[in-house]
Amino acid sequence: MGRKSLSVTDDRSSVAELEELAFELRQKLLELCGTYEGAVHIGGDLSAADIFTALFHYGLNVDPTDIANPERDRFVLSKGHAAVCMYIAMAMRGFFSYEGIVATYGQLDSAYGMHPCKVQLPGVEASTGSLGHGLPLAVGMALSARHRGEDHRVFTLLGDGETGEGSVWEAVMAARSNRLGNLVAFVDRNRQLMTSFGEERVVFEPYPDKWRAFGWNVVHIDGHDMTQLVAALDALPEPDSDTPTVIIAETVKGKGVDFMERNLAWHAGSLGAADLERALTALNASREKESV
Amino acid sequence: MPVTFTFGEMLSARSVIGSTLAELGDEYPNLWVLTPDIGATLVEFRDKFPERFVDVGLAEQACVGISAGLAYDGNIPVVSGMLPFLSMRALEQVRTDVCYPNLPVKIIGTHGGLVGNGGSTHYAVEDLALMCALTNMTVTSVGDPLMVGEVIRQSMTMQGPIYIRLAVGKKDRVLYEPGRHEVRIGKGIIAREGTDATIFTHGTTVAQALDAAEALAEEGHSVRVVDMFTLKPIDEELIAQSAAETAGRFVVLEDHLSYGGLATRIADVVADRGIRLTSFERLGIPQVYAGLGEDEQLRDKHGYGLSATIAAVRRAVAAVR
Repeated sequence: MGRKSLSVTDDRSSVAELEELAFELRQKLLELCGTYEGAVHIGGDLSAADIFTALFHYGLNVDPTDIANPERDRFVLSKGHAAVCMYIAMAMRGFFSYEGIVATYGQLDSAYGMHPCKVQLPGVEASTGSLGHGLPLAVGMALSARHRGEDHRVFTLLGDGETGEGSVWEAVMAARSNRLGNLVAFVDRNRQLMTSFGEERVVFEPYPDKWRAFGWNVVHIDGHDMTQLVAALDALPEPDSDTPTVIIAETVKGKGVDFMERNLAWHAGSLGAADLERALTALNASREKESV
Repeated sequence: MPVTFTFGEMLSARSVIGSTLAELGDEYPNLWVLTPDIGATLVEFRDKFPERFVDVGLAEQACVGISAGLAYDGNIPVVSGMLPFLSMRALEQVRTDVCYPNLPVKIIGTHGGLVGNGGSTHYAVEDLALMCALTNMTVTSVGDPLMVGEVIRQSMTMQGPIYIRLAVGKKDRVLYEPGRHEVRIGKGIIAREGTDATIFTHGTTVAQALDAAEALAEEGHSVRVVDMFTLKPIDEELIAQSAAETAGRFVVLEDHLSYGGLATRIADVVADRGIRLTSFERLGIPQVYAGLGEDEQLRDKHGYGLSATIAAVRRAVAAVR
């Protein structure tokens, strides 16, 4: 990318460093899940952890010390229930304090809630949580950037289940109609809804073809493979191009913790002390397994 | 070009929307106009500022969501369309994307009330109840076509969202001599002075209330007409003042469900402030799907037409405390 980096301290991380950061993100997520008494959307947080890491430590041109910089890339979390994973990823990038998140998450008057609120937490780009809202917001931001001749990108992250919402496809059409090559949508394709597995009750396939049919540039990757995530971000069309891009990232809900993976019981939950220990052990084991 | 019309003439409120936005587009380089395929009235803006005009086609939800995205980035988006769809199909986007972060999105549209003879799919009759329920939303319903321009103009400097309701907007009576009344969002307008009773109304039925007051004057009744074009925030002082100055006799007339709109807003103020009334009657749409008919026919059929208004005021002035 020929664009200037907003953050002077930003030497973009290598794939190995990103993998380490993603591991740390999962660890911190589980720890928070162990301290917070209420339920955390742990399944969809873990499926998106690598995407968040690739975005906040590699793809997004942002400066944690200047959150209103007009040249920054925008990121709209359309799957708002993964907010805590985003908060921690952003904390690791220097936006927030991880300790602050852990100490106040979900508490009265906290800035860090189950779904992101722009009013309470100005570091996030938009208030989201209700599904099917993020892509239209991102389209508006991309239109604005285009009109001003700014060359930043607008990114958003959707869950695949979320793309059952009709408003998503309205925005898909609007993005194509307005030729928003500065718009990049990630889909966390974890193939689970809250109460069913993908294709079981809702048929999504042929999924990439659906996006192609709407005229988008479709990139289909393994959403847990950092090399592929980085390559997809490196290969994005220029922001002044005409075609919006969707990166369909095949993922596993609960990724990294064996007893949570592909388990409908772990859409959301909380971890007691024993469960936390078990989850952290599983996370370590999963890393060792992947490194061999 | 400035619109100059005089009192009593018929004017298209829609054309006022179009010309006002086209004017404001110069003054506000961050003003955008978005529409879900209801662009005929917006041609002037579209032709002048094509790069700030977005027609998403039939996609109300995305239209409102996109407007919120634009507003997050410092723009002033105006969403213009038909209110039955903007207020209901896109209600959650209005509530969650616009009102929750308190973004300066202006929603302006037509078909508020039993107007246009499109049948119940095409009448917005619940919209004011829905919009008044939303935190941060300012809610207006404008009858006088020239006032439409003034309300849009004032809305430009408002921090949060506003809902501006019109009837069909093709042929509207100019109700006020320009300059005679101060138009200020949040303040009701005393459209006609009177001392025996007050008719509170908004939007398309202001003209009818004025006609009723004129007819009642011939019977010797002095009837005040308040154009409560801002339903939220409601002008509490004018309600209290009218109770004191018109013998506590209130008739509320509106082209909206008789529960949930202006009558409910006023009843809330009366209850909350302990205002003593002599009589209170609401005239509006009952909870039925209204059927077909011309605007006036439907108002008559459903009990809030001109003769029903006159009859209600007669009952009011006969009431004693």
